[in-house]
Amino acid sequence: MTKVIAVTGKGGTGKTAITALLIRHLARCNKEILAIDADPDTNLPETLGCELEKTVGDMKQFMLTERDNLPPDINKESIFESKIYEIINEMPDYDLLVMGRPEGSGCYCYVNNLLRGIMDRFVTNYDVVILDTEAGLEHFSRKIIRDVDDLLVVTDGSRRGLRTAERIRELTEELETNIRNIYVIANKVTDTNREKIANLARELDLKLIGTVPVDRMIEERDLAGDPLFDLPEDSIAVQEVERIAKELGL
Amino acid sequence: MAEEFPFEISPMFEGERIRKNDMYVELSGPKSIGYELVRAKPMDEVEDGKFTLIGPDLSEMEEGSRYPLAMIYKIAGELVEEDLESIVERRNHDFQNYLQGLMHLNQRYDVWVRVSKDAIDKGLTSFEPVAKAIMMLFKNELPFIEKVEAIYVTDQAEIKKEMDNVKQIYRDRDDRTRNLHDEDVDTFYGCSLCQSFAPSNVCVITPDRISLCGAINWFDGRAAAKVDPEGPQFPIPKGDVIDEESGEYTGVNDIAKSLSNGEYDRIKLHSFFESPHTSCGCFEVVGFYIPEVDGIGWVDRDFTGTAPNGLPFSTMAGQTGGGKQVVGFLGVGINYFRSPKFIQSDGGWSRVVWMPKHLKDRVMDDIPDDVADKIATEDDAADLDSLKEFLDKKEHPIVERWEDEEEELEAEETSTQTTPAAAPTMMQMPVTATGAMPMMPISGNSGGVKVILKNAKITIDKVIVSKKNE
Repeated sequence: MTKVIAVTGKGGTGKTAITALLIRHLARCNKEILAIDADPDTNLPETLGCELEKTVGDMKQFMLTERDNLPPDINKESIFESKIYEIINEMPDYDLLVMGRPEGSGCYCYVNNLLRGIMDRFVTNYDVVILDTEAGLEHFSRKIIRDVDDLLVVTDGSRRGLRTAERIRELTEELETNIRNIYVIANKVTDTNREKIANLARELDLKLIGTVPVDRMIEERDLAGDPLFDLPEDSIAVQEVERIAKELGL
Repeated sequence: MAEEFPFEISPMFEGERIRKNDMYVELSGPKSIGYELVRAKPMDEVEDGKFTLIGPDLSEMEEGSRYPLAMIYKIAGELVEEDLESIVERRNHDFQNYLQGLMHLNQRYDVWVRVSKDAIDKGLTSFEPVAKAIMMLFKNELPFIEKVEAIYVTDQAEIKKEMDNVKQIYRDRDDRTRNLHDEDVDTFYGCSLCQSFAPSNVCVITPDRISLCGAINWFDGRAAAKVDPEGPQFPIPKGDVIDEESGEYTGVNDIAKSLSNGEYDRIKLHSFFESPHTSCGCFEVVGFYIPEVDGIGWVDRDFTGTAPNGLPFSTMAGQTGGGKQVVGFLGVGINYFRSPKFIQSDGGWSRVVWMPKHLKDRVMDDIPDDVADKIATEDDAADLDSLKEFLDKKEHPIVERWEDEEEELEAEETSTQTTPAAAPTMMQMPVTATGAMPMMPISGNSGGVKVILKNAKITIDKVIVSKKNE
C-alpha cells in the first residue's frame, strides 16, 4: 500500500525544509519515493538539490493548446500519461514531480479529469508519496490527489502559524479529500518558546507531533542556497525529523 | 497456448512503472526514435507467427543504455481491413503492459518502452518472446486476426529510412478519420463534467460537433465511455433522425430531458436559433446574433476588446453560460468551426459576419473560399455602422437577405397594414447588457414576447381577448 503524506503550512514556516528532511529519511530507509512539489512557488527541487525541468502545469497547457493538432482518434489519456512520465525528475533516491504554474484561462475540466485517472494509477508504484503543498490545498480541492494518510501542518512559534494550522484543519473538513490524520509540526523552536507552543497547540486542540529546533546548519545552508538533502546525521533538525518519521510509522 | 515465456502475462501489470534505477534498457521514447505500426495485408503476404529482428537484440544491449525501436505487425484475416489497423495498433500498448517487466507508453511515433532489470534477471534475453507473446494476445483477444507476423527494428538507420513513409500512413489514416460524420455512427457521447456548475447543461459530442470546451471529441468520448460507462463521458444512442439538416435526433432529445431535469426536451445540434445546444460556461467561443445585419458574430475568450455589438466576451459569456438554451447566443468549441455541419440549419458560414482576427486566422482553412474575405474582423469593423458598411462593400451573402427582407416589407406595407413596421430584422435583440435573458420569437415579423412558464398551475375563470384601439 502506498502511504500518502502531505506537508503544508503558512509561507516561511519551513515546510519545504521539513519535506526535504522527511524525503532524506525515507531515502535512507530504501523506500520507493515519489516527491510532489504542489506549491506554485516551487522550492522543493532546490531544497533537495535537483533541477527543475518541466511541470505538470506545462503539460496541462500542452494538452490544451495542442489538442486540435493531435490525431482525432488518438488516446489523449495515453499521450498525457506519457507527458507526465517525461517530466518526472528521476533521481537515484526518489522521483520528483512538480505541479508548477496555476491554470490559465480556458477550461481544464477534461484535462484535470484525465490527470486524476493518471495519478490514481501512478502513485500506486511507490511506497510513499510525499507532497509539499501550499496552505490553500488547491490540488486537493481539484481532487488530483484524493486520499491522504497524514497531513502535516508545519508552523513556526507564532500564534499566527498555529491559527493557520487551525484554518487548514477547517478547510480539510470542507474538501472531498480523505485525510486520515492531521498533525502539527512546530519548526524553528527554541528552548524559550517550546512550552508555549505546546500549550497553544493543546488550547487549539491540535495534535503536536514534533518540535524541530532551530538548526544552525539549516540556517547556513538556507543563506547559501545549498540543498538540505545531504545534511549530516548530527544535525539536530534531522534527528527530530527522524523521530517524527518513526512516530508516523515511516 | 502452452508456450513458455520468461515473464508473467496479466492485465494486473498495467500501470507498472519502471523507474530509471530499475531499468535495464530504454527503447524509443522522448530521447530516441521509433514507432509502432499495424498493417492489414492479404493472407498470402503474412507468415503466421514469424518474428524478424533488424538490429541488435536485448542480449547485445548494455545495462542502462537506450536504443531506438520500431514494432511492425502485419495482420491478415477474412475480416481484417485497413480501418481496423489503428484499433489493433492501440492494443499493442495494452498487451505490452500485460508483460511483467515491460513498460509501454504513448503511441505511434511517440512510443516509449522500458525493460526492467528484474525481467532480464528472470531470463529475458531477446525480443522474440516479447513479440511472440504479443502475437499470441492479438490472436486470442482479437479473433478476427487469423495470421500475424512481427518485425522489430532496433537499428537507427533502418528506422530513420522508413519514418517518412510511416508518418504518411498515419496522416492518411487521420484523413479518413476526419471524414467520419454524424450520419456514419449510431452513438453519440455526452459529458457531465460541467454539470457541477451548469446543472441543466446537456453536452452532446458527435463526430461533427466537439464538446463546448473544445477538449473532447467523439473519439475521446468513445474511449472514455468504453473504459467507464458510468463516468463523466457516457454513450447517447442516437435514436431516430427527426431532422438531418438541423441535427435533431430522438436519442438526443431524450437525454436532454433527463440531463436537464426536464428543463429542455429538444436540442438541435447544428442550429443557432431554434432549440440550440445548451451553453455551459466552459465554451471557447460564443456566437451572438446581430439583428442590425441579421448575421452572427463570434468572439472567443482570448479576445479582450469589444465585439461590434459593444460587448466583450466576458459579458456575453456571463449571459449565455449556466447550462441554458439561450436563443440568440451559442457557446461552441473552436473545432466546431471546422465541422461541415457548422450551424448548417441557419446558413452556416454564409451567416457569419464577424470574428476576431486571431480566431479567423486559426480556422481560415475551413472557411469556404467564397465568404472567407467577406467576414469582418476587429481590423475591419469595430461597431455596427462600420460592420454594415464592410459587409455591403464586400458583397457578403448576408446582404441579399437584407434586400429580400426589404422587398418583403415593402410588399407587406403596400398590401395590408396589419403588421407594425418593424425593423427589417427577424427578431429584436437587445444589444445592451441588461442582464435579462431575452426570449425571442423565432419567426414572424410581428415582434412580441414569448412567455415560458415552468411548473406553473394557472386557474382562469374567464379570458377576454380584444383588439386595443390606439
